[in-house]
Amino acid sequence: MNRWAALLAAGAVASASASTSGAAGPVPVGSPAVAGYQPVGVDEQGLWGEMAEAERALKVSKLLVRDEELTSYLRKVLCRVASADACQTVRILIVRDPQFNAGMTPNGMLLINSGLLLRVRSEAELAAILGHELSHFERRHSLARLKAARSATGWAAFLGAAGAGPLGLALIGNFFSFSQEQEREADLDGLKGMRAAGYRSRSAGDIWANLRAEMDATAAARNVRSRKDKRGMFDTHPATAERLAYLRSSTVDDPEGEAGEAAFRAAISPLWPMLIDDQVKLNDFGGSEYLLAGLATSGWTGPLLYARGELYRYRGQAGDFEKAAGFYREAIAKPDAPAGAWRGLGLALARTGDGAAAKASIDEYLKRNPQASDKAMLAMISGGSQ
Amino acid sequence: MAVPGLAQEKAAVKPGFSMPTGKPVRILVFRPDVKVGSQSAGGVVTPNAEWTANARKNLADALVAAKPGGASEVVFMTDLEGENATLLNEYRSLFKGVATTVLQHRLFKGDRLPTKVTGFEYTLGPGVAKLGELGGGDYGLFVVTNDAYGDSGRKALQIFGLLMAGATGFGGMVSSGVHAGYAGLIDLKTGDLVWLNADLKMGGDVREIDGASKRVSQLLEEFPGGTSGGVHFLPTTK
Repeated sequence: MNRWAALLAAGAVASASASTSGAAGPVPVGSPAVAGYQPVGVDEQGLWGEMAEAERALKVSKLLVRDEELTSYLRKVLCRVASADACQTVRILIVRDPQFNAGMTPNGMLLINSGLLLRVRSEAELAAILGHELSHFERRHSLARLKAARSATGWAAFLGAAGAGPLGLALIGNFFSFSQEQEREADLDGLKGMRAAGYRSRSAGDIWANLRAEMDATAAARNVRSRKDKRGMFDTHPATAERLAYLRSSTVDDPEGEAGEAAFRAAISPLWPMLIDDQVKLNDFGGSEYLLAGLATSGWTGPLLYARGELYRYRGQAGDFEKAAGFYREAIAKPDAPAGAWRGLGLALARTGDGAAAKASIDEYLKRNPQASDKAMLAMISGGSQ
Repeated sequence: MAVPGLAQEKAAVKPGFSMPTGKPVRILVFRPDVKVGSQSAGGVVTPNAEWTANARKNLADALVAAKPGGASEVVFMTDLEGENATLLNEYRSLFKGVATTVLQHRLFKGDRLPTKVTGFEYTLGPGVAKLGELGGGDYGLFVVTNDAYGDSGRKALQIFGLLMAGATGFGGMVSSGVHAGYAGLIDLKTGDLVWLNADLKMGGDVREIDGASKRVSQLLEEFPGGTSGGVHFLPTTK
């Protein structure tokens, strides 16, 4: 179809859909986030039915992070910003995905990417995100989106925005995309929840300031222009700058409130090795360096130094193996050095041509981790010792 | 059903395969992937809970009644929990991945991989035997259907498209809803895919008992029988 034919067809869509609108039956009112709530009307029932099926699959997926302690911590924070009913009805699932993202399905399943947990720096920031997602559910943003999509003006944007979700579930991706107005509404609802719970509301803006700085770091290392102010044609989120601006201006007069940095760190730190490992493998040198530096503000620990070594070793540019070896050595000097530091040191030294030292380090690693899955390959690199 | 203009084999059977005869065969059906909705003029699909629930029941009943390939029994996998549920989920995803490959690179002639021109060698691996133990079956059947019925706006647009095509040479090609489905049979001892059938334009209204029965018979077209295998060899020309 050429352009004008498409425009004419769009006209037909407008008139046709006008004739069918209002056929969906009863309209749901009040919050769906109450115990025992049943979806109302064909549209909401359809969304809930399809999402129940997706949830069924997701709950047994290997991509879920099944960490009861962490999940109950997230729930505790959600419950501080949510009503008692919402606190009970919303399901929180942690998805192993290194990108910064969170989402809410129309039936109350709150998805948190593991990559978000690596970027958030305080309980207050986490509360802002959880409150934001809860707002999407309570205000039935997905349902409104679906209805708008069916109208002539909205469907192209809806289709355009329908990307694959974090698990490649294109279906969930569909219902993830909210409009800019909805995002703003959810941001402001999030602030309300934070204030009521005594959290530091200014932290909501910090999330975006941090994300922008990370995008700058990514771009600088790649020698390209930062994407922080970029917005695609179909991108529905307010640009980060705009978001940062209204979050800052809405909170300028708020009292300081509780940031909860230590509590957040304590809850997330057991997960760090996995989070950092996933991040380092993203091939985003600048962004990863930025994040590691952020995590190391109170000192470089063994796992952080190890991660930095891995980052340089993976990049493998001139001088990187020497630098990596340096970081692994620093890690090894720490009491909390992970066994992987000896492995990394061995592999880095092998690349710099120091075979004897490489062998000693790999042998040490295999002694510390005799069940290593790559034992055979490492033994070969270290010269067939075993 | 008319096969779309693109050269497509609708079904393929592993050469030499036939259902065993002389002993009872149990087919284990994994929870079918069923979606039913309505399609608006703009093409947006709204899932419909009632239609989906009806279709799920109707299709299940029809599958049991069909006893494909002369199976003595058709049973559904029980709801699994914990690690077993995760395992089934993994195999479900793997099957979909393999089926997608077969659809794109085997059944559609235009996009055949050079190494997959002849034969039919696809497998989920012998680990799938665990599913056979859990559910009790010799063969495992995966079924996927996706339907979206055009609402009145969609139908208006379809007519408009045809008018446009007639008047200007542009337009047309507005499809009437979505009615796609595929089914595949796995040997639960070896994990081999022994049969796959797919159709992007299926008949039978899955929301009705009779329609679902018609759909199931289409989904099971060219299901391997208990006689000689290899009768469904695919042509070897490129």
